[in-house]
Amino acid sequence: MSRYVIQFYKKGAMRFISHLDLLRLFKRTFKRTGIKLIYSQGFNPHPKMSFVQPLSLGYSSEKEYLDFETVEQFSCEDIVSRLNTALPKGVGLTDCRQLAPSKRTLAAVVEYGSYTATFRMGGTLSIAELKEKLAAFLALNEIIVEKKQKKTGKLVQQNIRPMILDMTLEEADPKSAGGGEGNNNITLTLLVCAGSNRNLNPEVLLKAFCESCGVPFIPEEAELTRNELYYKKPGSEQLLSIFDCQPSAESEAF
Amino acid sequence: MTWNEQLDKLLKKVEKPARYIGGELYSADKDPREVDTRFAFAFPDTYEIGMSYLGLQIIYHVLNKMERVYCERVFAPAQDMEALLREEQLPLFTLETGTPLSEMDIVGFTLQYELSYTNILNILDLAGIPLKSEDRGEEHPFIAAGGPCAFNPEPLAPVLDFIMLGDGEDALREVCEAHRSWKASGAPKREFLEEICRLPGIYVPSFYEPVYGENGVFSHMKKLYDGAPDKVEKRMVENLDEADFPEHTIVPLIDVVHDRAVVEIFRGCTRGCRFCQAGMIYRPVRERSAERIKALAKSQIEATGYDEMSILSLSTSDYSKIEPLVTDLMSTCRENNVALSLPSLRLDSFSFNVLQEIQGYKKSGLTFAPEAGTQRLRDVINKNITEKDIYGAMEQAAELGWNGVKLYFMIGLPTETYEDLDGIAEVAQNIMDVACQANGGRRGRFHVTVSVSNFVPKAHTPFQWCAQDSEESFREKHIYLKDKLRKIKGVTFNYHETHTSHLEAVFARGDRRVCDTLIKAWELGCRFDGWSEHFRYDTWLEAFRQTGISDDFYAFQELSTDAPLPWDHIDCGVSKAFLRSEWEKALKEVCTQDCRRGCAGCGINSRTTCEREGTL
Repeated sequence: MSRYVIQFYKKGAMRFISHLDLLRLFKRTFKRTGIKLIYSQGFNPHPKMSFVQPLSLGYSSEKEYLDFETVEQFSCEDIVSRLNTALPKGVGLTDCRQLAPSKRTLAAVVEYGSYTATFRMGGTLSIAELKEKLAAFLALNEIIVEKKQKKTGKLVQQNIRPMILDMTLEEADPKSAGGGEGNNNITLTLLVCAGSNRNLNPEVLLKAFCESCGVPFIPEEAELTRNELYYKKPGSEQLLSIFDCQPSAESEAF
Repeated sequence: MTWNEQLDKLLKKVEKPARYIGGELYSADKDPREVDTRFAFAFPDTYEIGMSYLGLQIIYHVLNKMERVYCERVFAPAQDMEALLREEQLPLFTLETGTPLSEMDIVGFTLQYELSYTNILNILDLAGIPLKSEDRGEEHPFIAAGGPCAFNPEPLAPVLDFIMLGDGEDALREVCEAHRSWKASGAPKREFLEEICRLPGIYVPSFYEPVYGENGVFSHMKKLYDGAPDKVEKRMVENLDEADFPEHTIVPLIDVVHDRAVVEIFRGCTRGCRFCQAGMIYRPVRERSAERIKALAKSQIEATGYDEMSILSLSTSDYSKIEPLVTDLMSTCRENNVALSLPSLRLDSFSFNVLQEIQGYKKSGLTFAPEAGTQRLRDVINKNITEKDIYGAMEQAAELGWNGVKLYFMIGLPTETYEDLDGIAEVAQNIMDVACQANGGRRGRFHVTVSVSNFVPKAHTPFQWCAQDSEESFREKHIYLKDKLRKIKGVTFNYHETHTSHLEAVFARGDRRVCDTLIKAWELGCRFDGWSEHFRYDTWLEAFRQTGISDDFYAFQELSTDAPLPWDHIDCGVSKAFLRSEWEKALKEVCTQDCRRGCAGCGINSRTTCEREGTL
């Protein structure tokens, strides 16, 4: 029995398949490539594999992570090459590492995610003025958004400011996806909470920021990419890529 | 904005955008500049339904195996996508390369059910292709169709340039070969049609003109081109082992209706149920060898990574060596962690053993299709199943721990009386009693679902001459049954909507004139008529009214067996004389034997050998 984590990208047309679709795709790809996964026991056995953090439909990602257990031992190179020959265009592995066996999944460890959003900012503000707006936005102690509660459907107010670690604004590269020609195409880079404990949907933040600038945020016109997922070691403030994490080494102090 | 950027913008706004992206494992990736024939396989319903259809996988495989042909796919866009395409004035496109459909050489629709016809028109319109063949020019693609409903193609005849009858594997290859040489010749489109109408199985509707007599009754077909055949014979693949079958099937990225590996085990059916069009038009039975089925199953599972597999035919248990085949498939599936699902299995003791093994604790999905409530009516329809068969199987099922069964019946069958409806309730009650007894006198959780559909007379069946029940009569029967079945504890009653059945009858027996109604209904906004949430009956009635076509004329008329029929020039291999004699026998409540017990004389063996004739 061996445990691995793979790093992969999801882009192009493949950003239009959902989290569940991706799960099914990997399940079949493992099967096809002869990499046998460990199955859970019980009435409805399912393979032991989990994504570190689900990615919303429509988002590209540079670095996604899947954590899984295999029946036999493989070299990491072997896993990368086998899966890469069998995956459709738009999903591909960039790396693989072995993990020590542990009950703790990477999904339980991940805390932060970095995203880029490129879109055309409405209104008449220049890039310099938008940067000022952003500084003022981040200087707020509280950023209140309305959120629908999943169970009751009630609208509740939530302060999202504590979940924002960093946010920067640049003029978009005209060649980048979503950049295009014309005025006020901006790229926002967000570093926010992402994980099972606290999670901030980037679109909620983008909407709040755009509204603070007096313009609406139109999600269909934004190109969103996740760049990386992070965790912190207890007692340290340094963000580390979740790919560098050995969950077995992380104490239950989390 | 480039086309890809425009497309991306749409995809971000629609539900299930992956319906439109292609890029699945084993979808074909060719350079369109390197081919002579660009063929779009068009399925007139959503991606999830179209991708569950094995015929698509077969045709796609056969055509893409040809070096100079590129077969791509297109499905009916859902209403949100349609609205966006219209708003942005973007053309409907193929999944493989995002090419506007109007740039294809041939667009081939599959006609699986009548209620998908408005979607055909919608697909053409979204592609900017004129609906009627007479309005299309040299710059437009050829619009073609095939599939079971093509056996009465007349309602769509004004739309289609050519129609393929019967098995498509060989006919399509020949059509594409012919297209290649025609294209090289630079001749006008008509010459291509003149060429292919000589190929067996190809019907070019514009070479024929229906003539109607007084009272608007169909009289005969007038040929407009001498080179066209008087009768168009369907195509048949004689040997399934030699026929191409895909091992590398396209594996959808999103959840589709049937998301599994599937191997077709045979075509055709020997039973001869008189209402069943498939049982007539797919004759004779042609089996794929067990060795080939097993090899295909294994390679498909390995190539796709599916965790479920199924076998396909009109009646699984009728495969000649079904027991060893299923036993072997079970072991292949077990070794590969694949769940085997066996549709349309007859419930005998072997089946129960198999189901016990493959379903384990998840005992689900027992179904029975007596089709009619009394032995008399079952004799009329030639459904050779007895009450002893049903109760014996149910007793065993209950003993083995199944806690329910779904029963399929049809109402509105010819000669039906309320006694036959009482019979439906009796069957349900008796099954309940049998199950109670097997369960020590208690009902427990045993449950019977009675599902009733409305009989629709279909072309090329012994019941093609029958009138359909009126909607009022259907409704009365539904209420009657609902009332009867409500009194039996543990029975659920489902029935089909009558409006859709009525419309099906109009198109199943329609002639060329109903095409105008179809176009009108589409103009008035009808789409996805097979979906109850989209079906708009009032709009359909308005379309009939505006075009001056009587729906009742097509649905409610009992036709004379001597009268010419609008589909008489389509030859499915079963003779009209046989259908007529079957109709007469039906009225006398006389059964016809399964042709495995001896030839029933349908006429198909004048064209080919029936390998299963007299083998029981």
